[in-house]
Amino acid sequence: MAKAAKIEVEDGNIVASLQGFFKALLEDGEINALLVPQHLPMKNTVMPTLVTDPEKLNGTDPLAPAFPLNAAKVVSKLTRKPVNGKVAVVLRPCEIRAFIELVKLKQGSMEEVVLVGVDCLGAYSNIHYSRFVGEDSADSTLSFCQNFLEGKGTAFEEFDVSSACKACEYPVPENADLLIGLLGVDINDHLLVKANTPKGTELLDSLGLPATGEPKERKKAIDDLVAERIKYRDQMFKETSEATSNLEKLNFYLADCVNCYNCRVACPVCYCRECVFVTDVFDHEPSQYLRWAEQKGIIKMPTDTVFYHLTRLAHISTACIGCGQCSNACPNNVPVMELFRTIASGTQKAFEYEPGRSLEDEPPLSVFREEEFSELTGGKD
Amino acid sequence: MKRIINYHVHPVILSKKGRYMKKKIGSCLVVGAGISGIRSALDLAELGYQVTLIDKEPNLGGTLMQLDYQFPSDHCGMCKMLPLVERDKASQYCLRKGVFHENIDIMLSTELVALDGEPGKFQVTLRQKSRFVDPERCIGCGECSRVCPVEVPDGFNAGLTLRKAIYLPVPHNIPNTYTVDVTSCTQCGECEKICPSGAIDFGVEARSRFRILVVDDELVVRDSLKEWLEDDGFHVEMAESGTEALDMLAKDSFHLMLLDIKMPGVDGVEVLKRAKDLYPELTVVMMTAYATVETAVEAMKIGAHDYVMKPFAPDTPVPVVAQLYQDILRTGERLMDVGAVILSAGFDSFQPDEDNNIFGYGVSPNVVTSIEFERIISGTGPNQGKILRPGDGKEVRKIAWLQCVGSRDMQEDADFCSSVCCMFAIKEALLAKERSDNQADATIFYMDMRTFGKDFQRYRDRAEKDYGVRFVRCRVHTVSPADEEGNLKIVYVDQSGETHEEIFDLVVLSTGQRPPVGTEKLAEMCGVELNPWGFCKLQDFSLSRTSREGILVSGSFSGLCDISDSVIQASSASLWASRLIHSKGGGLAEETETKEAQFRDVGSEPPQVFLALCTCGGTIGEAVDLNALTESFKNTESVAEVQVIERICTQEGWDDLQEAMRNSNANRVLIAACNPYVYAKKVRELGERIGLNPSLIDVVDIWTPAFPGRDLNGNQLTREISATVAMGIARLKGMDPCPIPTARIIQKALVVGGGIAGMTAALSIAHHGFDVTLVEQAEELGGNLHYLYRTLEGYSPQELLEDAVLKVEDHPNINVYKNTKVIGSEGQVGRFVTAVERADGSVETLEHGVTVLATGGQEAKTAEYAYGESGAILTQHELEKGLQDGTLDPTKFRTVAMIQCVGSREEPRNYCSRVCCSSTLKNSLYMKEKNPDLQVCVFYRDMMSYGFIETYYTKARNAGREITIPADVLVLGTGIVPGNYKELADQFGVDFNEDGFFQEAESKWRPVDFIKEGIFMCGIAHSPRSITESIASAEASAQRALRILNNERLAAGSIVAEVRHSLCVLCERCIAACPYHARRYDKAEDKIVVDELMCQGCGSCAAVCLNSASVLRGYRDQQVFEVIDAALEGLG
Repeated sequence: MAKAAKIEVEDGNIVASLQGFFKALLEDGEINALLVPQHLPMKNTVMPTLVTDPEKLNGTDPLAPAFPLNAAKVVSKLTRKPVNGKVAVVLRPCEIRAFIELVKLKQGSMEEVVLVGVDCLGAYSNIHYSRFVGEDSADSTLSFCQNFLEGKGTAFEEFDVSSACKACEYPVPENADLLIGLLGVDINDHLLVKANTPKGTELLDSLGLPATGEPKERKKAIDDLVAERIKYRDQMFKETSEATSNLEKLNFYLADCVNCYNCRVACPVCYCRECVFVTDVFDHEPSQYLRWAEQKGIIKMPTDTVFYHLTRLAHISTACIGCGQCSNACPNNVPVMELFRTIASGTQKAFEYEPGRSLEDEPPLSVFREEEFSELTGGKD
Repeated sequence: MKRIINYHVHPVILSKKGRYMKKKIGSCLVVGAGISGIRSALDLAELGYQVTLIDKEPNLGGTLMQLDYQFPSDHCGMCKMLPLVERDKASQYCLRKGVFHENIDIMLSTELVALDGEPGKFQVTLRQKSRFVDPERCIGCGECSRVCPVEVPDGFNAGLTLRKAIYLPVPHNIPNTYTVDVTSCTQCGECEKICPSGAIDFGVEARSRFRILVVDDELVVRDSLKEWLEDDGFHVEMAESGTEALDMLAKDSFHLMLLDIKMPGVDGVEVLKRAKDLYPELTVVMMTAYATVETAVEAMKIGAHDYVMKPFAPDTPVPVVAQLYQDILRTGERLMDVGAVILSAGFDSFQPDEDNNIFGYGVSPNVVTSIEFERIISGTGPNQGKILRPGDGKEVRKIAWLQCVGSRDMQEDADFCSSVCCMFAIKEALLAKERSDNQADATIFYMDMRTFGKDFQRYRDRAEKDYGVRFVRCRVHTVSPADEEGNLKIVYVDQSGETHEEIFDLVVLSTGQRPPVGTEKLAEMCGVELNPWGFCKLQDFSLSRTSREGILVSGSFSGLCDISDSVIQASSASLWASRLIHSKGGGLAEETETKEAQFRDVGSEPPQVFLALCTCGGTIGEAVDLNALTESFKNTESVAEVQVIERICTQEGWDDLQEAMRNSNANRVLIAACNPYVYAKKVRELGERIGLNPSLIDVVDIWTPAFPGRDLNGNQLTREISATVAMGIARLKGMDPCPIPTARIIQKALVVGGGIAGMTAALSIAHHGFDVTLVEQAEELGGNLHYLYRTLEGYSPQELLEDAVLKVEDHPNINVYKNTKVIGSEGQVGRFVTAVERADGSVETLEHGVTVLATGGQEAKTAEYAYGESGAILTQHELEKGLQDGTLDPTKFRTVAMIQCVGSREEPRNYCSRVCCSSTLKNSLYMKEKNPDLQVCVFYRDMMSYGFIETYYTKARNAGREITIPADVLVLGTGIVPGNYKELADQFGVDFNEDGFFQEAESKWRPVDFIKEGIFMCGIAHSPRSITESIASAEASAQRALRILNNERLAAGSIVAEVRHSLCVLCERCIAACPYHARRYDKAEDKIVVDELMCQGCGSCAAVCLNSASVLRGYRDQQVFEVIDAALEGLG
């Protein structure tokens, strides 16, 4: 049974409250280290940091609307082999979901990790965040949260949070061991902290925070937010499907791709040590290019751009958790996230698979069901 | 033979590791090429014996060719019988299409006609009928069939369609050669004229060498016969009396004598006697008038081949003579020595229109047999799988299956159960439901639903509950026409005695088994006994040994059995054949000379392809411009040379190819011809001859595009052929020849479980000279045999036990570890390490190449029916023991009640234990014998007296029983439960099913294998079975084990998966995807490891691997991309 407590807030400064909470966690909790996003001292950029010294948490700000990378990959690096210590990792819901996918693929382990999730209000793209944050790191975060929770939206100047965040139907990290809640919570008084698992409960108990219940407004707040995002998402699916409904349109959609492979590097669930596109498999014979050109009279160079995206879709669309880092990383503004989420919604539905939901759900290609897709396999012959 | 051929001017490094080859001495004949015959042949071939597999039909596969679907999967799956190790020695494609194995010589249209000699060295005579069509020349175009004027019912479709006299026996064979049905062929010669490749030859020209002597005192008969026969091209001479005939026979040799019976002087019969004395090879046909028919029949007893009735028109004697000519002159005989003979001649189906024909079969077209129904639902059947009535083509909506037609029927002299029809009918009913989208109504009328096999009961329950198949317990006595439209009326009486009348669209008769035609002759020839129903009689406690040593039986020749039992029996037969040959010194001894093929190392050379284009006897040459094609391929990158060769498939063509290769520097060979399947063996031989790794030689099919009927024009055809060849070149270019991996085998076996199954497996393996450790956790060997004192047939289990224990304990190759437990095992096929804990607590480690799990089961405990509350309530085991030790005296009882299926055939233990009904019959009959006044009352759901056990059921019923309650003793048939295998399954990495029995790799085709190669199961650990059945499964598992043990090293296939470790990220998706358990994560090495022997090259791992860290040899990504590009370029 879930157990909830309060992180008290003074002066409306939720950033400071959270910093206090993390400090307590590192000091009192049975953990050796904390992985948490911090403003780097030399720059206002927010990056995950691995902290063992409770005094080094001053820039901690998991609520900052910054999402420079999906930290699931960082956690994977930390846990691929025994790390020999317990680490609490503070993640966004999409990072947790990506990490769960990676654990299924043996690219990480839950053994020594406590997942701490924070209600996610969304984030700007890297370029936009640097404009948003200006010189004022903590205050910008506070105003972002205030505005959001007061219903004033997240738009700033001419930009807004990324479309991945706007289309995200998982703002609440229900599968974290420890959940920090903002939605539907009176954040001027306190933040909600909720233990979802025995691991989380154990950690929460060690902190001696005042107990509380889940505010009754929370459910509605979450439902409204999810409904709004689903609406946005479905519109996005519709538009993207239309924009890519045949090969010609797809070519046009992906025309700006230069095979830099940034999207693949940024993708948390693209987990190969070396992508097949940079191995000898795609080391075509020089004469082959000429033969291709001869067939049609003209080919676009570099080749294999559409093939690359189709391959990535085939490989990981069932595991796509929709974090949008692909689009964030694209130098040419190819709407990669929109395409991936649109296709993924189809493949995930086909396999009745929800990535990142639970370690219990086996990835589709690891499961064999004799009777599935009989309309495709001609099971009835 | 030249071993190493060096064609290269540069220094050549010869690969040290060639193919590892060993040949076993000894050979075996398998008669009948159905499932069991193929299984036995493959078994022996895999052991290294030379096998001759014959079938009297022109096609392989027996009954299974007609059955597209088998329960429980309702698919086929025959290919699962293909060899899993040393795969390259056999074909690796659909077994329904054909069987190829290096060690198997297949002879079709062939019969065994004589057998002499003794076990271990039989001389057999095989007679092969001419099929008039030269398989080397037939291109399968079907022109012959098109022009043939004769139409007869097609046996393949159970007579539901028509075929020509020249036809394809099976539509899907490879290669598919047309064949002539000699009995219906009129030899009009039309097909011979139209055949584009000259493959058909009726030998009309050679008829003038066929010498016929016509003997008749009537000139007019002599003259007209001479005229008619000479018109047809035969050579005819005449004699007007018996004396003259004998004189002529003395001077000249004749093939055939047409002999009148009634002649003055020396009459026909006398001539026949003397002629047969002097010239036993001479064929004699008697000519007789009506008055002397009886004499003619007598004449046949003393050697006449046949008789014809006078007076006759030309169309009577001429076809007879033409037929005889074929039989005599165009039949090949082959004599050979074989160590053992396996009879797998199958069965015939009961013909329901014989005798009473109470169901109107043959009268109403809508009464069909189960085989006919099978053809109706087949995609290759009369309606492409639509269920239409034969009578009027109407969609079928209401079908009745009538069970036990020609079985369990004293009036038909069939006091036996045909064992398979119940499941067969359920399967057909399910298929009917599925095919009709549940529109068809399916009803099965049965007496007992005999679901005695593993998982059968659940299949039946599913049919009833999930699919709505209706089961009606009742024997239907007549089927009558309901109306003019061909509907059928069935009147039946239900369980409550009420009479019902129901109308059906279609009635399917589940026809039972009969011995195949010719069984008596075959039995007499082989010197084996038959049982009272004409099937082959077996020795006590054996499912494969006949009354004569060296003559074994596999499959339904000793009584109908399903696929799984046939396969087990077939392997039991091959085991015994091998034991015999081994004991006679042939054995598995290695041939002294092992041949190692040596291949050129071409790894560093750029690819140079030699392309051979076959003309396919002009077919391709006529359709496209071969010269232009040749020129265009010559200009293709990596092509060194192009040659057009006439008919590569013939020996001449093949010689031409080898000759051409002799002068070539090419390091790849692409043969563009027809069916690539048939070239596998030839390609390997070519590789060895020219020193080129066979993986660098490939065959592509350019013939199918040119197939008549596709009607491609010259340009389209050229494009398609170009694309096909370009694809072949692209694939060969990327081929990276590696030596085929081999693995060392520890030639020792571990058998876990010392019951009769375990002991039999141990003995069977040890007998072949391999060391066996037999581990038993109890103090004594013997298992359940300790509780059994007699069998239904009257055999003695105690004698069997004593004998087996003695043999096991005395055998120099068997180490018996009693009071010993397995505590852990690891490894793979060929290399297992197992730790066992001995009685004294010490732990010992055993190395072994194979494992047999024979861990048994026991009688189920029950708390039902007040068991345990009264001494008068017993289990069948307890009854048997009490009767044996005298604590129970049947003479003291007046009434005994028995309850069957206690706790069985219902969830959670929803399976039939197979042996309880037999135990019940056995104990009942025994008590009745001791006390004829005793009343035995058996409460049962379905009496599972399958096969010839039925006869004891009849006997028990005749002995009389009445329902009288209360009873003196209540006996419960509680069934069998498996031991607790969870720990054992974990230790060995194998699975068990929901009932706790071991899970076999495939219920029908690999019944004693686990998915994990190298581990086998037998006895009750597999599923409940009788002593005899346990022994057979143990022999089968030993056979499966021996095919591995028999090799110091085993070769994998040339196509196996590999891991490119530098790319591998250890996500283990490939492990989950591998259906053969051939992959594992090696923690110490931190690597994914492929067990190359277990890998079957299916490529699932490569498909799930995202960055091609897992690759399939011969199908690397670049290669496949190039093939795709070639295809697209070629099609332009």
